[in-house]
Amino acid sequence: MQQTGARQDVTVGILALQGAFAEHQVMFQKISSKRKAVIVLVRTPEDLERCDALVIPGGESTTIALLARLAGLLDPMRQFLKKKPVWGTCAGAILLAEAVEGQKKGGQEVLSGITLKIARNGWGSQVESFEADLEIEGLRESNRPFHGVFIRAPVVLDLLPTLTSPPIQIISRISASLLPSSIVNRPLDEDDTDPTDPRTIVALRQGKHLLTTFHPELTKDCRFHEYFVTECVVPSLLEREKEEGVLA
Amino acid sequence: MATPAQTPNGSGSPLPAIPHGVGNSTGTPVMAPSRQHAKDGASNSSLGTFGVKSGLAQMLKGGVIMDVVNAEQARIAEEAGACAVMALERVPADIRAQGGVARMSDPQMIKQIVDAVTIPVMAKVRIGHFVEAQILQAIGIDYIDESEVLTPADDEYHINKHAFKVPFVCGARNLGEALRRISEGAAFIRTKGEAGTGNVVEAVKHQRAVASEIRKASVMSEEELYAYAKDIQAPFHLLKETARLKRLPVVNFAAGGVATPADAALMMQLGCDGVFVGSGIFHSGDPAKRARAIVQAVTHYNNPKLLAEVSEDLGEAMVGLTITDDMKGGRLAKRGW
Repeated sequence: MQQTGARQDVTVGILALQGAFAEHQVMFQKISSKRKAVIVLVRTPEDLERCDALVIPGGESTTIALLARLAGLLDPMRQFLKKKPVWGTCAGAILLAEAVEGQKKGGQEVLSGITLKIARNGWGSQVESFEADLEIEGLRESNRPFHGVFIRAPVVLDLLPTLTSPPIQIISRISASLLPSSIVNRPLDEDDTDPTDPRTIVALRQGKHLLTTFHPELTKDCRFHEYFVTECVVPSLLEREKEEGVLA
Repeated sequence: MATPAQTPNGSGSPLPAIPHGVGNSTGTPVMAPSRQHAKDGASNSSLGTFGVKSGLAQMLKGGVIMDVVNAEQARIAEEAGACAVMALERVPADIRAQGGVARMSDPQMIKQIVDAVTIPVMAKVRIGHFVEAQILQAIGIDYIDESEVLTPADDEYHINKHAFKVPFVCGARNLGEALRRISEGAAFIRTKGEAGTGNVVEAVKHQRAVASEIRKASVMSEEELYAYAKDIQAPFHLLKETARLKRLPVVNFAAGGVATPADAALMMQLGCDGVFVGSGIFHSGDPAKRARAIVQAVTHYNNPKLLAEVSEDLGEAMVGLTITDDMKGGRLAKRGW
């Protein structure tokens, strides 16, 4: 039976070209929201067309970008970003950015979904990968810390808002003392309390889109996946339904 | 003092097993022994945990890791979509042909490769040679392969891999061997296959052995699991966790003999999470084209039409070897205990 109105399922696509897409799938299957998330593993433009939202998982951003181009997904994803919510984790965050530092020689393709500049692999090699508890604004039970897993993680370098871009909402920062010394040129003691330093940002939203430099899919805590569905996907779906209603 | 990481997964709540690779997604990562963040002042952050070690392997899934011997090859691999490169002095086919003791590569050569690419760089150490591993950790390599392709340095003990911040991948021919390596701290497993032959038969045999033993264990009672653990010489707690997950508790790649896109897709359909390609790429007629084709084959392994397209006109494949006991270089997979 076709369900109507607010009871419909939402279709969340997970870009399944390379990386940790299976982990995201397991997390979305665990969440209990009013609207069930139906998962589509996206490997072709046809898969993407069926989705209400897209997750770009962690992996290698150069590999994912190349496979996306070979699969003819880059332009469909850029179009998708204009209408529907996208969440990028780690490598996915790099693909969502407008500008990237530390690109491979010859440059790499990005989707420019969020107006910021990001540094690939900002902390250094794998021996600098770490775990840290995070405070995150807007999560269910937000007083309970969220365990952040940072693996060769990117660092947000600069927010690049334009007159027409939606405002950027910062939802989590890490302590400046955890920033890599290679990125922090100013001495830490001057910088430590600067609440506006973009480099401490590890999770943010711009319009419908969500970006995390860490890996919520590697924990057992599915609050971030719930957040994406209830705060990004469902509102955007309601908005689109309203627009379509007006047009009809 | 923290408890040393005994299980890679903790004792998480049951998750539905999914066919293609959850890796270590279930557990709150178990902390490796007391490795506090060097710069840590206020917040409780930690480096080198089992969670970040196995986590990097999870990020490599669905990808191809390519053997390279210099910066130029590393760039070709990166452009072709490799998710990581393995830096070594000679590819296995050459080690086989030239003989002699094969050791860790010159750190300078490895550093040149690290500087040339942005993707993770791995390098091999001899079985049991923990000082070679200390050297690779000191130069900031992303993953270490304690590999049977090099000449073993210890004929009894493997490296205690829990003692390192850098993660390790190890080869295995069967479930017991895989779980012994995980209990020593390996955060990533690959089939041994038979490196440097361009012949996939041994990799298939090893992957089928692991899968079949996991299927067997998954329907066993606890009593049977105790006896089976003794049988296959595996730690009981890891066997029990594997039986519950119905897969290895860490990421599992294919390695040893993969030479064509079809070989790579075969290993993926047999349940591997990704593929290592050694001599198969740079010993072929058109390395860049073959590398890209294998990358696509691993992503679209269930799409025969696309596999046909990418398999077209790749030039000559590497010359393969029939695997016998008296072949040049002998059976490398026998190394490791």
